[in-house]
Amino acid sequence: MSGTSATIEKRLDHLQHHFIDSDQQFESAKLGMWIFLATEILFFGGLFAAYIVYRSWYPELYIQASTELNTFWGAINTGVLIGSSLTVAMAIRSAQLNQIKGLIYNLYITIALAFVFMVIKYFEYAHKFHLGIYPGEYYTFEGIAHEKANIFFSIYYMMTGVHGLHVLIGIGLMIWLVYKAKKGAFHSGYYTPVEITGLYWHLVDIIWIFLFPLLYLID
Amino acid sequence: MSAHEHHISSAKFLWGVGIALFILTVLTVAVTWVQIPEPWNVVVAIAIAVVKATVVAAFFMNLFWDSKFNTMILIMSALFFMLLIGITLLDTLYRIDPVPSF
Repeated sequence: MSGTSATIEKRLDHLQHHFIDSDQQFESAKLGMWIFLATEILFFGGLFAAYIVYRSWYPELYIQASTELNTFWGAINTGVLIGSSLTVAMAIRSAQLNQIKGLIYNLYITIALAFVFMVIKYFEYAHKFHLGIYPGEYYTFEGIAHEKANIFFSIYYMMTGVHGLHVLIGIGLMIWLVYKAKKGAFHSGYYTPVEITGLYWHLVDIIWIFLFPLLYLID
Repeated sequence: MSAHEHHISSAKFLWGVGIALFILTVLTVAVTWVQIPEPWNVVVAIAIAVVKATVVAAFFMNLFWDSKFNTMILIMSALFFMLLIGITLLDTLYRIDPVPSF
């Protein structure tokens, strides 16, 4: 008897008293995350608006300046982020099936891929800084014959920088998930933080899916 | 006990989605090798990106099986983003003299 009540207690220890059941709590958390993601889309939307306005003013600048961006590494990073989206989805699947080891392994792979993304980004930035391609008034590169070249790179650094910041925050969140998972916090009846972080991570991937062709692939 | 079970995608399905996204990434790079004339190269690039984003949202973010309300939030944010772009361009595209120091 006490055994049964103990398992029920274990299954529902995550349930807050103001929710009817686990399911309602899960759906509410997810709804809250989607609203947050909407604000994220509008936040990045402001940066995309700046991109579009300047591109409509100086189309030839974008074609010239984007040749300084390395398509190969941009494509590799796109693949890395898609791979990490896949492993996050696999992590959620593991949690749903109560496979906590699988959950932790998939989170480790995701964290590793996120680091690969940031290392590639670091080398891209370092190479540009070496050439004197800094944002705004610190721009000293002579290789692009356009007086507004610094503006393209201000937009480039702002968009990829804020995106990179999101990747770093995602790494932090996933380290926290690994810590919680190792303490046994997640099981098939409760994996809300994994699901929510997964949604965030997929949005970061979606933003990059748009950044890659818009910045790197303008012939 | 619970009203409905959460959707659990099979590993095979998730890998399929991942591979489809890889193929679309290769495609989006490959179309730049074919020289598509000016406005259409941007249209094609954005179209492929929208397809990829839709695949991620539907099958990785589980909107396909999820409450329709969450899909509505995503679509509304996209609509308000287009409103932002549209109204901004109505101003910036029709200036006789673009902002001097910008």
